[in-house]
Amino acid sequence: MIRYLIRRLPSIVLVLVATSVIAFLLPRLVPGDPAAAVAGPDASPQTIAAIRTQLGLDKPLINQYFHWIGGVFTGDLGQSLQFQRPVSELIGDRLGSTVQLALLAAIFLVIFGIGLGILAGSARSRWARTLVEGTNTGFLAAPPFLVGLLLILLFGVAIRILPTSGEVSVLDNPNFGFQYLLLPALALALPMSAGVARLVQTSMQAIRQEDFVDLAVAKGVPPWRINIRHILRNSLGPAVVAIGIRFGDLLAGAVVIEAIFARNGLGQLAVSGAQSNDYPVMQVLVVGAVFIAVVAQLLTEITLSALDPRVRLG
Amino acid sequence: MTKPVPAPPRAPRRRPRGGAWARYARALRTPRGITATVLLLVLVALALLAPVLWPGGYDEQTRDALAPPSAEHWLGTDEFGRDILTRTIYGLRTDLSLILTAVPVSLVIGTLLGLSGYLSSWFGSLMQRVLDIILGFPGLILGIIIVLVIGPGWTALFFAIVIAGLPGFGRLARGGLLSEQQREYVLAARTLGVNKSTVMVRHILPNVVDPLLVQASIYMVVAIFIEAGLSIVGLGINPPKPSLGAMLNVGARYVETLPSYVLGPGAVLLLLALAFTLLSDALNQAATRR
Repeated sequence: MIRYLIRRLPSIVLVLVATSVIAFLLPRLVPGDPAAAVAGPDASPQTIAAIRTQLGLDKPLINQYFHWIGGVFTGDLGQSLQFQRPVSELIGDRLGSTVQLALLAAIFLVIFGIGLGILAGSARSRWARTLVEGTNTGFLAAPPFLVGLLLILLFGVAIRILPTSGEVSVLDNPNFGFQYLLLPALALALPMSAGVARLVQTSMQAIRQEDFVDLAVAKGVPPWRINIRHILRNSLGPAVVAIGIRFGDLLAGAVVIEAIFARNGLGQLAVSGAQSNDYPVMQVLVVGAVFIAVVAQLLTEITLSALDPRVRLG
Repeated sequence: MTKPVPAPPRAPRRRPRGGAWARYARALRTPRGITATVLLLVLVALALLAPVLWPGGYDEQTRDALAPPSAEHWLGTDEFGRDILTRTIYGLRTDLSLILTAVPVSLVIGTLLGLSGYLSSWFGSLMQRVLDIILGFPGLILGIIIVLVIGPGWTALFFAIVIAGLPGFGRLARGGLLSEQQREYVLAARTLGVNKSTVMVRHILPNVVDPLLVQASIYMVVAIFIEAGLSIVGLGINPPKPSLGAMLNVGARYVETLPSYVLGPGAVLLLLALAFTLLSDALNQAATRR
């Protein structure tokens, strides 16, 4: 395992360094004076000059980069331009909201994805399989924001039992917080769980043809045990990979879902940051998003090897 | 009594006649293929004919703002009294103009990057690294970065769709290249002195084109969602120009008073996505049946 981690390290570092360079270059890629771009349209020449020295734009590019990345490592993330507050504070305020959303969505993704997949993969009767496959196809075609809008239509207009906009932290008030969290998490998780379900289904069907399943049947192993011990365990690999890869998409999906459900999370911060060219905020969010996606992928591969001893990491 | 005469050896089963085009034409004649073609034709025709069917354009205002659906305005009117159906069709026009240009560009560039390994192996592996880095960015984040650099609008969406698609096409092309590269016919062609780029274009490319077309069709759906995702948060097509995502962005605010504002563009978006999903299924069947 440790050998594997060491071997994977170079490519991870490469992706992260490349990301940080892109993030660093963001305000400098814009045509024109980056200090003016950072200062905004109605800044006075003095402000622009002040920002130029503050960003160190008069120094060579390499120095600027190391100065910035050094700040990121020591927790000095800079000052937001639109809120005039430290970026670390802004992110700290909103982190909880997005983490709660992503966690619940991930739980739903695992339950619905694997659950639906097992139903479709083991259902014998025709109508059950048709039903599950129909639901799968429906969700597969519908992106999170459409599912979210439909949920709002359903629960905000037709059956008013769940709140469709705003939020309460689960930590402050578990009951209300969960109510506010339920619909956005469902909207985020359902479309992705359809993809996971299809993977579980197809690999279950493929593994059902294997010799060791026939052997188990011949030995007289009860069907539920065959389904769980022999077929399911061997089918989960692709699903685990799919869930791990989708975790990054889950975060990106949160951007849109938070906008639709009026939640004040990191996604909302990214949107307002992008609209008002708040570069210090955007730089940190971009690096953070890629970092989390990379870590999720790494954890996925480790889980996969724990699940299937044939997958050797090394 | 005569012995039964053994049947003459059957003629070897003929390959389905015709080249790639005939195969694709057959794919489009399957039930899925027909549904996809009809849906796409209707949607494209509507988008193309929009200026003829609604000569007033997408900005024509009436006195009633946020009027409910009626015989005159099938989906009602928006917050400025503009017909929602008209704006939806013009939005569809924007979406189609975007994906039908950006996806082919992404397909061509991605394929070239993937195949470049055949001409120069270090360039090929360098490109593979670059594609890996692009792949590391979660979908919308990449789009947001591009919006930050060139500002929201059609062009930013175009580049976002082109760049986000490169890893998919590049990896498929490279995978095909690596498996075809060692086949006898490629080695034979090389031994006969055919030069590398001819081998690549005439011999390798035709063998990797099927999965690439399937991927292009799948990526159309992704591209629609990139447009809608960015526009819905206000980072894509901006008012007054309509796009399906931009309509959903504003429509979401009136979801409780005027559900048709969301349902109309949402339904068109789903139909468009459905058409390309079915098309990719049909193409996939044709590709694997070979």
